[in-house]
Amino acid sequence: MIRWSIKSLLSEGAGVVASCFGVAFAFLLVMFFSAVFSGESERIVAYPTQVNADVWVMQKGVANMHMAMSQLWDWKQDRINTIEGVKETESILYLNAVIHAGDRDWFTYIVGLTGSTTFSGPWSMHSGKPIPARSEAVIPDMLSRLTGLKIGDRIKIVDKYFTIAGLSSGTFSMANSIVFVSYDDLADIMSAGSTVSYVMVRANEGVSAEKLASRILNQLEKVNALPQKQFIANDHHMAMQMGVEIISMMTVIGSTLALIIVAFTSYVFIARKKRDLAIAKAIGFANQQIYMSVLIQSLTLTFSGLVLSAVFSLLLFPLISVAAPEVFLKVTASSIIEMAIPALIVAAIAALWSARQVASVDPVSVFHE
Amino acid sequence: MIVQLVLRRIQSHPYRILLSVLAISSVISLVLVLEGFREGIYQQIRHMVTSRGADVIVSQAGVSNMIASRSLLPQLSRIEIEKIEGVLQAHPLTTLPVIYRQGNRSTPVFVLVYDTLGGPAEIEQGRSIEKERDIVIDKSLSAIYGLQPGDDFIISDFRFKVVGLSKNTAAFFAPFSFISYDDLIDLYFDSDIVGDLSTLPLLSFLLVEVSRNHDPKEIISKIESLIPRADAFLPEQIAENDVAMSRSMLGVVFQLMIVIAYVICVLVISLIMFSAIQARKHELAVFKAMGFNRMGLSKLVFIETFVLTTLAIPIANIFAYLLAQLIHDVAPVYLILSNETGPVVRTFVASLLFALLGSLLSLRSVVRLDPALAFKN
Repeated sequence: MIRWSIKSLLSEGAGVVASCFGVAFAFLLVMFFSAVFSGESERIVAYPTQVNADVWVMQKGVANMHMAMSQLWDWKQDRINTIEGVKETESILYLNAVIHAGDRDWFTYIVGLTGSTTFSGPWSMHSGKPIPARSEAVIPDMLSRLTGLKIGDRIKIVDKYFTIAGLSSGTFSMANSIVFVSYDDLADIMSAGSTVSYVMVRANEGVSAEKLASRILNQLEKVNALPQKQFIANDHHMAMQMGVEIISMMTVIGSTLALIIVAFTSYVFIARKKRDLAIAKAIGFANQQIYMSVLIQSLTLTFSGLVLSAVFSLLLFPLISVAAPEVFLKVTASSIIEMAIPALIVAAIAALWSARQVASVDPVSVFHE
Repeated sequence: MIVQLVLRRIQSHPYRILLSVLAISSVISLVLVLEGFREGIYQQIRHMVTSRGADVIVSQAGVSNMIASRSLLPQLSRIEIEKIEGVLQAHPLTTLPVIYRQGNRSTPVFVLVYDTLGGPAEIEQGRSIEKERDIVIDKSLSAIYGLQPGDDFIISDFRFKVVGLSKNTAAFFAPFSFISYDDLIDLYFDSDIVGDLSTLPLLSFLLVEVSRNHDPKEIISKIESLIPRADAFLPEQIAENDVAMSRSMLGVVFQLMIVIAYVICVLVISLIMFSAIQARKHELAVFKAMGFNRMGLSKLVFIETFVLTTLAIPIANIFAYLLAQLIHDVAPVYLILSNETGPVVRTFVASLLFALLGSLLSLRSVVRLDPALAFKN
């Protein structure tokens, strides 16, 4: 019976192929949505990940960077430098702002760097200089590609014009591209002299980040200090949470669509094979065996769709990233596994729907006509 | 004759036709939901700016956006603007991005600090701010964290009390909250940087009320010539700037998702038409044997597809509306405008075209039909 069900399903040819592709694209839509959020969430933490400090110090009550605002007196950095276990520190000013580049507005994170910076600037350069002087900016290479702006051209941040001095790599994202300017320029824009947004601390060898963070918390008032791992996890977690409901809804919609496609295919298949099923019933096949064959068909269709969607995502997503470089997609094994759960539910419901039809087949109908 | 044949077939297989229509409706409703999602994001942004109640919005020079953008105006600009003839009042508004945390969950929240104008336009539950430490939060925060009027709402270790839940106050994937200036000052005092308040955003925008006898555009040019450190906009103008920025961020993603949805549309329709052709191979072979040429049979398939898709369109509209409501109930921070005229018309025209493309894929099996099949049992 199982052999018969798979053989007869395959004999449907183009119909089954269209059905499999339909299911695959329904799941692909969900995967794409999830990949956008995963990709963006990874890009959101690109800066703190690459800076690779041991401890991040910020304003009390602040615990992350994405869409946050933090301000500390700059003398606190000097105090941190005197704390036991601190090897070196660097600080930045940081602002969420809309910049004007190439006739378009872009939502960006502006990082103000001091001239002496060694590890808080761009971590990889496409071209030009990494540390901007006054009235200079280092923009993501992708922004340069999308706008056609080159080194020497100008961008506008708030009401000030900046000359592009360098193009950094790995700093572009749809939600938070990073533009580096000098500390003094950003302080002027923010009217924020003598303050910094974050202090990044590197620990002496053998000093754990957790211990150093709690030492800083104990010795400085009105600050928050977090080990790098936790700081990054906070940002990543929040970015993913921003999309969690909508991803769940898209999963439900995509799965429902897949369910309709599988149920429709099964319905058409059973309607066409009604006579064969009646014969099977007439010659003594038990209902359970026939139900099993229907379940196997639904499972085969759904999982073929799921596997196809995974293959498509692996093939198509890199192409999408080439055609639309501003979109950074990340497919994770977990996102594919998460799709398998609704897929299983889809297959089971579609099989139930089909089983109801099978149960209604009258063995006597084989003797009609 | 072909149209009659199609209608006859619809009448004779109502159950199958119903299923086909439902399947096509589902795919079209998916496209409508995606289009509605995009429109909803833009609409939320427009609404957040235009519902602040101003005739003219003044920002820091060079700042032409309101949502997710930092603006810092000189304190004295308010007095100067109120001296301009035709200006009734300039109301201060400050924006503050914060992260709200509860348990393991955190959400970015845009706090709007207002005095006499710019507060929540619609309060669904509770009241607006009246006392110290009052806060009105968007209802999506209530849905996520189970917050109700009377609950504490802690931002940067500073304790507010929720007094109201506002609606239509989310934009750019984030909810908004509303507090008073007194509490903003207290919040700043509670933080570190109180030695120099000028370093903190105290005045982001001015919401200008213009007298009825004056043209807001005329006031805009007066403000810009009087205060070089400020720019002035009509609310619609600044809203469109925000929409344009959001388009440059999200446009490609939505475009790609809509393309995928249309591919599903083509595949589902080709599946339906292919199955329909397979189911009545014998009938179509009879038509071929009777002298129907390829064109005639193709017309039959096209017209059937057209009728099915046309029948599916109103149902798709209903499905999309229900899905939009469901999404809004589960995640109230999102607004899905699935029934906006422009996207609906665009989707329906595209769906008809893609439906015909889907039927083209199944045409091959019609063309290859052997008329001799008509004489087989």
